[in-house]
Amino acid sequence: MTHIGWSLVSFLARALERPERDVVLGDLAESGAGVGPAIRDLLGLIVRRQVGLWASWRPWLALLGVCGLAGLSLSRIVFRLNVDFYKNYVAHYGTDLTDRQEMAFFLCMAGALLVWSWTCGFVLGSLSGRAVWLTWSVFYFVVLDSAWARFVLAGNIILRNPRTHESPLDSLHGTLGLLMAATLPLTIAAALFLFPALFGAFVGVRSRTLAVPHTYLIGSVNVALAILTTWATGWYDPAHLPAGWPEVPWPVRLLPFLLVSWPAAYLLACTLPVGSHPKDQTRSDMREP
Amino acid sequence: MLGEFEYLLLSAAARLGDGAYGAAIRRGIEGATKRRCSIGALYTTLDRLEAKGLVRSWMGDPTPQRGGRQKRMVRVTGKGVQEAKAFYDSVSRASQGVVWATDRARGLS
Repeated sequence: MTHIGWSLVSFLARALERPERDVVLGDLAESGAGVGPAIRDLLGLIVRRQVGLWASWRPWLALLGVCGLAGLSLSRIVFRLNVDFYKNYVAHYGTDLTDRQEMAFFLCMAGALLVWSWTCGFVLGSLSGRAVWLTWSVFYFVVLDSAWARFVLAGNIILRNPRTHESPLDSLHGTLGLLMAATLPLTIAAALFLFPALFGAFVGVRSRTLAVPHTYLIGSVNVALAILTTWATGWYDPAHLPAGWPEVPWPVRLLPFLLVSWPAAYLLACTLPVGSHPKDQTRSDMREP
Repeated sequence: MLGEFEYLLLSAAARLGDGAYGAAIRRGIEGATKRRCSIGALYTTLDRLEAKGLVRSWMGDPTPQRGGRQKRMVRVTGKGVQEAKAFYDSVSRASQGVVWATDRARGLS
């Protein structure tokens, strides 16, 4: 096998856990297989291992709970922060709020987004294990695009070039721009989500659980932020609603913040029973009998 | 009851004895069946057999032939021997009187 071929095989083998990676690379070296058969063998094992991970409930909870439930709520928050930021600081639409109230609202939402993103990322990594590359990708696209997609599909947002009034899908340039907006974190709110969520997932995969004091801290901060954001939207929402519209009651405002906070509740629940969290597919007993 | 591939793996491991490890078992299976044995099938089946308590595996010493990497050594347990014997007996009984088994017996005698 050539040096480049072996480098490629070694790179692919990183998808396997360390002990198994060592064994498989050793087997391939011993068999003297060519690059093609070696890659085919390796991919076969990686696919089987990845499929095997989904036999557990944990990646499913990550997919449905974090990507679905929390991700959809987080997407609304990212979307709202983007729109409100644009209205206030780019388009300079007037609101009935003072500058101090507006700043407090943005700081509150931005702080909440940071903390919730980290918590969601951590729980996602902790639950997914080696399936995190898939669940995290789903989570990323759900948060980045689901709110936009929902509003576009519902007809609340019409995609068109503000100057030419053409649909972005009518030209290659527009299509590429739309694709970039849908895949890259090009807004401040998307960046506020991306980096903490990525870091949280990284820590979650490595450590799986938090120390009890850290869990209580995360839980307390999540509760405080849910209360603060509910309170802040209380004086922010009426300023945005058309005249005559009824005020949004506080339980309705609280609901998305509660949904996005459930990973913190999960972390707190994990601290209650005393026991170990088995790592998926990890053979702990690999000693000679 | 064992599956066909599980039986092949147990047989190859039992034949190799103390020298049973992943790559050697794979060669044994390929030699016996004249068919390709993928690493994915080998190691996932090995995990399954270990979970059932039919084999034990542990990390062996690294060798220069393997680029200094470890082997996954395998040993068939007593329960594994029983299961393999039960499978073999079932196949032998099921094959009695069938044309391919009779032809083979004539050829051997």
